[in-house]
Amino acid sequence: MRISAGLGMRLLVTVEFPRFCRSITLAAACSCIGHVGAVLVASLGVVAASEPLDRPGAKAALTAPLFETSVLPILQAKCVRCHGGEVRKADLDLRTAASLLAGGESGAVVEPQKPTESLLFERILDGSMPPDAEDADRLSEAQIEQIRGWIAAGAVSQRSLSADSGGGSPEENSFHAVLPILLRHCTVCHGPRVHEADLDLHTYAQFMRGGKSGPIVQAGDPERSLIVQRIAAHEMPPIDRLIEVSVKQVDVSELETIRSWIAAGAREGDVVADTAGNESDLLVTDQDRDFWSFRAPVRAVPPVVTGVDPVRNAVDAFVLAQLESRRLSFAAPADRATLLRRVCFDLLGIPPSPEQLASFLEDRDPLAYEKLVDQLLASPDYGERWGRVWLDVAGYADSDGKREQDLARPYAWRYRDYVIRAFNRDKPYDQFLQQQLAGDELADYSATPQLTDAHYDNLVATGFLRMAPDPTWRNVTNFIPDRLDVIADEIDILGSSVMGLTIKCARCHSHKFDPLPQRDYYRLISIFKGAFDEYDWMKSNWDSRLSEGQRIQRELPCNRPEERVPWEAAKAKVDQQLEILREVLRARTASDTQRYVEQRIAKFPSEQRSDLLAMLATPQANRSPAQLDLAKQFEAQLTISQRELRKLDAEYEKFLLDTESQMEQLEKDLPPEPTIHALWDRGDPSPTYLYRRGDFQLPGRLIGPGVPSVLTDGRTPFVVEPPWPGASSTGRRLAFARWLTHPDHPLTARVFVNRIWKHHFGAGLVRTLDNFGKVGSPPSHPELLDWLARDFVAHDWSVKRLHRLLVTSTTYRQSSMVAAEVKQLDPENVHLSRMPSQRLSADQLYDALLWVAGQLDPRRGGAPDGVELRNDGLTTPRRGSAGWRRSIYLQQQRKVVVTHLETFDFPAMNPNCSERHDSTVATQALYLWNNGMVEELAEHFADRVVELAADTPESQVEVAHRIALGRPATATELKTGVTALRDLTEAWEAYDARLVGSEPVAPAGSMPRTAVVRALSNWCHAILNSAEFLYVD
Amino acid sequence: MWTDLHRRGFLQSMAGGLCGASLASLLGDSVFAGTPAHSDMPYTSLSPRQPHFPVRAQSVIHLYMNGGPSQMDLFDPKPMLDKLHGTKHYDKIAGEIENLSSAGAIMRSPFKFAQYGQSGMWVSEVMPHFARHVDDVAIIRSMQTTNITHEPAVYIMQSGKMGPGNPTVGSWVVYGLGSENQNLPAYVVLDDPQGLPINGIENWQAGFLPQQFQGTRFRSTGSPVLNLHPDNARPADVEAIERAVLTARDRQHLQERHGDPRLAARIASYELAARMQLAASEALDLSQETAHTEAMYGIDNEVTASYGRRCLIARRLVERGVRFVQLYINQQIWDHHSNLEEGLRSACTRTDLPIAGLLEDLKQRGLLDSTLIIWGGEFGRLPIAQLSGNDAKRSGRDHNKNAFCCWLAGAGIKRGTVYGETDELGFSAVNGQVSVPDWHATLLHLVGLDYDRLYLTRDGLNERLTGVHPARVVTEVLA
Repeated sequence: MRISAGLGMRLLVTVEFPRFCRSITLAAACSCIGHVGAVLVASLGVVAASEPLDRPGAKAALTAPLFETSVLPILQAKCVRCHGGEVRKADLDLRTAASLLAGGESGAVVEPQKPTESLLFERILDGSMPPDAEDADRLSEAQIEQIRGWIAAGAVSQRSLSADSGGGSPEENSFHAVLPILLRHCTVCHGPRVHEADLDLHTYAQFMRGGKSGPIVQAGDPERSLIVQRIAAHEMPPIDRLIEVSVKQVDVSELETIRSWIAAGAREGDVVADTAGNESDLLVTDQDRDFWSFRAPVRAVPPVVTGVDPVRNAVDAFVLAQLESRRLSFAAPADRATLLRRVCFDLLGIPPSPEQLASFLEDRDPLAYEKLVDQLLASPDYGERWGRVWLDVAGYADSDGKREQDLARPYAWRYRDYVIRAFNRDKPYDQFLQQQLAGDELADYSATPQLTDAHYDNLVATGFLRMAPDPTWRNVTNFIPDRLDVIADEIDILGSSVMGLTIKCARCHSHKFDPLPQRDYYRLISIFKGAFDEYDWMKSNWDSRLSEGQRIQRELPCNRPEERVPWEAAKAKVDQQLEILREVLRARTASDTQRYVEQRIAKFPSEQRSDLLAMLATPQANRSPAQLDLAKQFEAQLTISQRELRKLDAEYEKFLLDTESQMEQLEKDLPPEPTIHALWDRGDPSPTYLYRRGDFQLPGRLIGPGVPSVLTDGRTPFVVEPPWPGASSTGRRLAFARWLTHPDHPLTARVFVNRIWKHHFGAGLVRTLDNFGKVGSPPSHPELLDWLARDFVAHDWSVKRLHRLLVTSTTYRQSSMVAAEVKQLDPENVHLSRMPSQRLSADQLYDALLWVAGQLDPRRGGAPDGVELRNDGLTTPRRGSAGWRRSIYLQQQRKVVVTHLETFDFPAMNPNCSERHDSTVATQALYLWNNGMVEELAEHFADRVVELAADTPESQVEVAHRIALGRPATATELKTGVTALRDLTEAWEAYDARLVGSEPVAPAGSMPRTAVVRALSNWCHAILNSAEFLYVD
Repeated sequence: MWTDLHRRGFLQSMAGGLCGASLASLLGDSVFAGTPAHSDMPYTSLSPRQPHFPVRAQSVIHLYMNGGPSQMDLFDPKPMLDKLHGTKHYDKIAGEIENLSSAGAIMRSPFKFAQYGQSGMWVSEVMPHFARHVDDVAIIRSMQTTNITHEPAVYIMQSGKMGPGNPTVGSWVVYGLGSENQNLPAYVVLDDPQGLPINGIENWQAGFLPQQFQGTRFRSTGSPVLNLHPDNARPADVEAIERAVLTARDRQHLQERHGDPRLAARIASYELAARMQLAASEALDLSQETAHTEAMYGIDNEVTASYGRRCLIARRLVERGVRFVQLYINQQIWDHHSNLEEGLRSACTRTDLPIAGLLEDLKQRGLLDSTLIIWGGEFGRLPIAQLSGNDAKRSGRDHNKNAFCCWLAGAGIKRGTVYGETDELGFSAVNGQVSVPDWHATLLHLVGLDYDRLYLTRDGLNERLTGVHPARVVTEVLA
């Protein structure tokens, strides 16, 4: 697709596609639903491009039937009621030629000169429009013919004819006609950051001022304008530097656009960015706003219920009311052990300890459970469990992805720790969001020499917006489309996971189902422009091939003394060791070289030797004429380069390689300089254009910052102010974050409480966690959802309070086992007639295995634990001295995923995961049954059982049940367990007996495990494989 | 800790598995696992499904040639390169060159071409064995893609989109058709023991499709599937007792929960795992093959043995009803930025005979009529040299997205066809351009799927392998 400029007149967009497809017409549609006036004319240009009016065919158009006289009256009579001002079905407005030609949701409805390819004509002709029409509403044959004739003659209107004589959008007649081209090809070297040749092209004034060689533009005379000359001569952008700065050559049509803009006078023009104003929005109507999730939540009064079931809080009242309306009631309460295991996994992600089990079973306090919940919520394990939920949302990873060299993000973990800390400290959710979306604009972190804790948290939190896969650290994957993909991913994460809207759909066209015009996507893009500017991009700075000066710092230095001081000490030590190695190498090189030189000199006649030595010892400048002569003859053969020395002396070569590898290792072992993986506003962002069809080469209207109109009243401007006086930061994200966390925001609290609900109850009240739009599921309990959202906000967005409310409800305390009839009445458990049993997530299972085996290393936070990739593809975590830490602390490289996690549906972050889905596949069985680590953990589990139990099989079976399954064993289980242990022991004894005398039972050096212990290990291994271990009732 | 007792004994003990679980609980079947509450529910089982069209190819063997094989040195001879050899050209195509600093002049092919078979198809001298089979093959010379960097280009070729997270071709095929063999994965990946190709495991991901449609890696030596056998084998009777303990507990657990289908599926998955231990081991057991067959695939020769073994395994898998088999070579063996002459010769030597053996073997067994073989990489190469120092012999070619070759053989193919045309330098396809979505649409068509009707609806968008734009089935290469 290319842009070509009709000389002097207006921009014509010709669309060159391999195939003419629906998406092109779509382009036309979305570029113009924006604004009346100018944009409509611009879009007219797009549609008319198949037969532009300033080409020969245009003459004929002068005599063609006009829209205003021949078609409009028909449309007004038959169509405008649904496709007009008040109602705009299918996003189609038939009130003007421009809006008609702009098309609707499905793209263009008119192909000029081609009635049979025009949806408008087809739908009328086949009778599908007007829909369900009475005879009187149908169009007459004459009317249909009139429409056909109008299209066939070129779909001409008075408006298009007048546009032909001096129309065009403000953008096309202004500096904005060429600025996108300059941004694409020039400003990286001649722009706000770098002004090579003293030239800055990113503002009109600077552009007109020119650079070192004077003005670059002669208004009205493109051929005498330096900029045209240099580009036309292929001197700019210089082809040998294109890759270095990730820039493409200027296209012929782009140069043509520059030429015609200069020819027309190189005027700045007057363009006002599209932002929300005081007048009502034409694109999003109040009717659009009248959808449950776009209206602020209403605080409903919990219903009064009649039954005998205990109603502990409002949650129960809402749930029970609905159950009763279906002649259902709560299931029986879960038994205490089941409830304990459930709530421990739910709040902490690990099973209860045998001690917890014992004390909870014995605690007769009526509030024993409430006490327990408070204890659990105060445990630091809580933050690790719920932090993981948010890390899924954010798409957390320790590497950049997308490239084969999956570049590490050495300090991404700070964000992980921030999230865990936030949950543990019960940071109010509104603050949590504000920090993540605009932490850099919350307080002036550059005002103090050292980062305070608050600044640190603010900045680290913005890592949320730096989690998307990002290949832009390499030049060849740092072109504009690559950058736009990174931005799109971040917007997708924000839109789906935080706002519950599939905003990403509006990148290329207006949303098909929700009232999200494409314009609103670009308003959102504009909010992030200060930090995500595709024309002023910061690469991640871990590319070791770049020298210090070449790197654009995308990470903020972390100057907190507790990290900085030890790192500097470590660095000094490494530098010192390096220097010692270098010195040793220098000395060795000198002495070896000397030895060879002496050997060579020894071959000279003895009388010459001292002269030669003297010559070599004398610097070039001080040599006598005789020495110079001598040097000319012999110096070359007496000079031994290091390269030559390496060939001459194998020992030296070995020494050199050893030393070099030692040096490399030293450098490798030094952690990278402490930095913060953050996002910050750099001020003075590039303008934002609506990209037609999402194509950056088709910039449309200039767009200013704003929020989705459907979530506002449509009549209130979006106000952006600098975050503090004199700030370079735009303040756009801060304004956005404050809007998003306004107590009356229709979505923010609803989406979040729904997510928390899902993790407790197995499914959301809105089942589509990240889609609260029209295609999403409606809430199963709308009043409850609203009540929760309101209650959450009213109590200072406290997440822990929300958990407490949910898990202490009767609803939560129900049994998961109900009679088959109940299941039939509520098959999907939509009405919460029971608790669902849930499979442990990959992380919960991993942590639980370690916990049960007593191998869970309790250390928290900091750099992630490495993983090892075995040749056969098995990826396992490395064991530390005290076992393994929780899975949240495992290194999460995108391309090397721990087999355990991958097998149990741990998500690949592309870019994030709003909701995990459980699979049941044979590889899971193979893993748990055969994997060496699981087996090792089963042995540790058995050792723990031996330690805690009395020395009888009965006691061991009982203790194992309490450790792994969180409940006492039944009498039957005790009996079968003891039998199994006996059978297993006998099998091992028989096996040992067979081996006696043939080979050792255990490899030398390891403690032989007795048949009894091996038997117990096998039995424990079976328990770890059992469904009861994997599922929580 | 004891290790490595008799590993084999375990296998024999597997025979008495659980019974009662339905055979529909296939590998990776999670048909019972959680029912989505909204419509557009994706398939979650691997049971065979009705195709959209009559099926031409029951199975697909994808010979993925990672790195970007040079079209003008293999299948698309360009005499003009000889004429213009040494002429400066890079400034005319600067925007299309990844490494401008090493861009050289126009470079002729170091290889001779000749015509082969009834069809008279041109093939370079470095593929003498393939040349014998040209009459079973259709070559497309006019492939085009949209990116000149490996990672994005590979994502595009494998999944139709420029980044990770999208289902690959094999996933879509299996998603659309299910599996004929319930004891083996439907989509098997035979990666090179020497290492993964670029993009690693993302090459066979299921993306947003359910996990069971992901490719399963089979190793061609040693234990074929990860965790297929225990790291430390237990004696058979110990194993049997442990399994009995597990079975009894799981059944009791299931019964108490009124036959929760997720739990039944889980029990079935343990059964299937046991069956798979046998089936996968049997499928990869080459000891049943004759020396003659092994020689046909080059297994008797060190250079061709590795790829030959994978080709032979591919045949065995296809024979057993595996739907989609994908073969990889380590790293980027076709990525000849330098030493093109030597490098291309070596890449061909490693693969040419095994591929020819595969074609021949499939044909003699009648499997070529039901199996589709596809060969190709992610892009092609430029007509100009990429310099490597001053030694012209060490020159290579840089990436080129505007033209490359892929070939198809076997089921449903109009054999002996050359389709599409590039310009006189081989820089860009000028006739019959085939985009990656067109290529994908064609592959789907051959297995009986309509690219337009094979989709998964997510948030109201119908996600297709070919994206939102219409694609074209390249009917010219179809029988």
